[in-house]
Amino acid sequence: MSARWKGAPLALLVALIVTVFAHVPSARAERMPPEQVLQTWYRLVLELVRHTPNYSPPVASRSFAYLGVTAYESVAGEHTRLVSLQGQLNDLKDLPSREAGAVYDDAIVLNAAMTVATRELFNRTGPTGQHAFSRMSEKMHATVTDGMPADVVRRSADFGTAMATAILKWSQGDGGAVVENMGFPLEYTLKAGPGRWVPTSLIRQQQVPLLPDWGKNRPFAMPEGSSCRLPAPPEYSEDKASVFYREAVEVHDVVKGLTKEQKAIARFWSDDPMLSPTPPGHWVSIGWEVLEADRADLATTVDVMARLGVAVADAFIGCWDTKFEFNLVRPVSYIKKTMDPKWEPLLITPPFPEYPSGHSTQSGAAAVVLASLFGEKKTFTDSTHEADGLAPRTYGSFWEAAEEAALSRLYGGIHFRSAIERGLEQGKCVGAHVVALKTRM
Amino acid sequence: MPRHPILAAALLLLPAAGACAEDAPAPKPIVPSFVDESATAGLRTPYQGEWEYMVGGGVSAFDCDDDGYSDLLLPGGKEKAKLYRNTSKRGGSLTFEEAKDSGVEVDKLLGSYPVDIDSDGKTDLVLLRLGENIVMRGKGGCRFERANEAWNFKGGEAWSASFAATWERGNDWPTLAVGNYIDPKADMMPWGSCTDNWLHRPEKRPGEPSRRFADPLPLKPSYCALSLLFTDWNRSGTPSLRVSNDREYYKGGREQMWHMEPGKPPALYTEEEGWKYLRIWGMGIASYDLDFDGYPEYFLTSMADNKLQTLVETPKDGKGPAAYKDVAFAKGATAHRPYTGGDWHPSTAWHTEFQDVNNDGLADLFIAKGNVAEMPDFAAKDPNNLLVQNEKGNFVEMGLEAGVASMKVARGAALADFNLDGKIDLVVTNRWTDPEIWRNQTADAGNFVALRLQQPGANRDAIGSWIEVKHADHVMRREITIGGGHAGGQLGFTHFGVGKDESVAFRVIWPDGQPGAWQTVAANGFYTVAPGESARPWQPGR
Repeated sequence: MSARWKGAPLALLVALIVTVFAHVPSARAERMPPEQVLQTWYRLVLELVRHTPNYSPPVASRSFAYLGVTAYESVAGEHTRLVSLQGQLNDLKDLPSREAGAVYDDAIVLNAAMTVATRELFNRTGPTGQHAFSRMSEKMHATVTDGMPADVVRRSADFGTAMATAILKWSQGDGGAVVENMGFPLEYTLKAGPGRWVPTSLIRQQQVPLLPDWGKNRPFAMPEGSSCRLPAPPEYSEDKASVFYREAVEVHDVVKGLTKEQKAIARFWSDDPMLSPTPPGHWVSIGWEVLEADRADLATTVDVMARLGVAVADAFIGCWDTKFEFNLVRPVSYIKKTMDPKWEPLLITPPFPEYPSGHSTQSGAAAVVLASLFGEKKTFTDSTHEADGLAPRTYGSFWEAAEEAALSRLYGGIHFRSAIERGLEQGKCVGAHVVALKTRM
Repeated sequence: MPRHPILAAALLLLPAAGACAEDAPAPKPIVPSFVDESATAGLRTPYQGEWEYMVGGGVSAFDCDDDGYSDLLLPGGKEKAKLYRNTSKRGGSLTFEEAKDSGVEVDKLLGSYPVDIDSDGKTDLVLLRLGENIVMRGKGGCRFERANEAWNFKGGEAWSASFAATWERGNDWPTLAVGNYIDPKADMMPWGSCTDNWLHRPEKRPGEPSRRFADPLPLKPSYCALSLLFTDWNRSGTPSLRVSNDREYYKGGREQMWHMEPGKPPALYTEEEGWKYLRIWGMGIASYDLDFDGYPEYFLTSMADNKLQTLVETPKDGKGPAAYKDVAFAKGATAHRPYTGGDWHPSTAWHTEFQDVNNDGLADLFIAKGNVAEMPDFAAKDPNNLLVQNEKGNFVEMGLEAGVASMKVARGAALADFNLDGKIDLVVTNRWTDPEIWRNQTADAGNFVALRLQQPGANRDAIGSWIEVKHADHVMRREITIGGGHAGGQLGFTHFGVGKDESVAFRVIWPDGQPGAWQTVAANGFYTVAPGESARPWQPGR
């Protein structure tokens, strides 16, 4: 998505979509290219992530991975010079293949695949999401099949459906397929002790941590959830001379003296669930902006979406593995106890342990992957939140954005510096596994 | 993850971490008792429709035939609304008859609010619709006529589900606020399509009384309002406009409150003034001075946890930060998931209202609950809440014991004394099924007093007044408002439970800020009160 397009008021955005559908080209005219079909579906997906109640950031990251892999495998083959990820991603095998010599249409394949995958992954969205999905499905099907030979339509749609079905079947065994009560366990005993995480919210549901077993899920490209586990955070201490105390003082003082720019950065990367497309969705949005700015072809588009989805998904698995290994207290709990009972962070403190910072880990992983695909010094503008009234921000590299995203958690008052810096390091580790995937012939 | 309903129920009972000090045992409040008279009351108007009617469904309760009994306007959603005349007898069963050809049998009605716009003593109605909103002038005898043209009320074409009214200082014609939801035409990408709320202020003509509305002023920005309330939160004498917004559909939105200085454009409260950056699925507002400090608390309904807000600092001389803290957790008022029926998913809350249902002198809280439609991560069996306040100011769930734990898909409600026996009854509207109505039969309820304010000239129902009632060692206060709740409001007697008090000392602070004299009346009576006059006892005619 270009900054111009992404930042447009929604009314204009809808008008553009309507315009696209209103001028559906016939088979003889220019057809909607498959990468645009995919982009249109992701546009809906980013809204569904925001508006489906059980879509916390880890859950969103998982869906981005499966959607990305679905799109990738739907068009992988000789014609795109893309290598299947079977045998590279954990337990991915037995995917359907195209009939040799037969004609397929990638737009129809992708549309069918995304229809099936989106419906299944967002089957818990509310009536408005279901309503929007139905409208989108009807319009997109009409658009991509208009003027196309019936046998091509049937063959392509069948293949896309079969691919999505196979990917969804693969997804069922990863440990993250069923998320109840928005991810908050109904049975959980908090671990008491100095430095242990305690609830920070006055919301009843959040008196237990979010998705404590998410780190046990099957990762995609990492061998194990613990493959990128971090060393222990600074030793917990209430001694004013300790590293831990000094890091807390930093959080306290930074929040007390936030500049306008620091507040803007904190809010820009806040990416709260159900109020935004979540942190992984923010990076997927960045991915689309860069793809559109570069007028990327189909192969690059699906390569980016698959790798980016896998990167953020593995980042959350690895991050959660470390979080629940160390179960560290949040700054708000520690600062109120030891130095300032009236102190409040700028951002809402997320309801799970502190170390490391999830946004840092997944931003680091996303930046590594995007840099491998677009270059280390790629300049881009991020207008993900323009419709929410947050001005676009421009970066000289993906890593610069990742570092800002990570530091935003300090400005927001929800993470200590160690969690931020080591989160980025963990992201690099995760990203390296994803970069190692072979996608091109 | 496995489902553990029993454990979920146990979690519900866990003491709130921040509330341990307040959780010392308090005497159990009087258990209210309601009898379900839905089958015989004669109310037969389900709130019908699909996606476009997922919100709304509010009921209004008011007296349209001057017999003192509250009549009901029930919305039919995509079907026609019906007005029901209250035929109950004092202390008897609740019965209603359809008031045919009343003029308000319109379709696409989401809710309604009674308000005497032209101050002629006959209650008018504002009809909130999917499409053009309509003001109906009351003609008496439960008949109404369209007055959009006569009063220059521009009804627009929107998805309207919230409303509030006030008489701004110096005005003889009301100011109406209409809250609008998403753009119904943006059904493929509805998110971020919130349409403007409207402020209908009086048309001013030099030297003439206002008899018309000026063209509506859009309240920008608007964020899909589902409840509005003009309320004098800081007792400055000038009500502000609270707006509770549904975060499901806005982008860049939040809860709002507007400064409403007479003669000036509305201006939003800012973070510099203390107004916090709160984003909820705002669906309903209820207000009541729960801690007897003279300033109302606000209950905001949402999904999962609900909010109970109290001021961080007590204002001085009407000035102070507009900063609220959430005490729902500490007060046991989160009402975040079903308390019975075995469904452990989070709740969805709509209409809410404070009333003292056991007449013990402490306001209780009702919340209508019901899934939006088919949201699998929220409770499908979601009982309405009746949170009864105890002596420590905490709330105890008594919906099941009281007999009002309906599992139907509720939206609107009204708590009013429908049979004038001094006990608050309850009517609830439901999606796709008939409304339910319960008669309060609490045997050991306390005494009560019911006051109806009437002042000469404009604003006959004295909207914006405060009624103060002495009870025990404190003063109970209620602000007389039109608005709040979910898509429906009331006009009529204001009820106070007074425990065992045999006589009641009260006074009224009228909309112009002038306090009336303290006067004492016998408990268990209905009274009309006018400025500068002694309260007049009123007796039902049947």
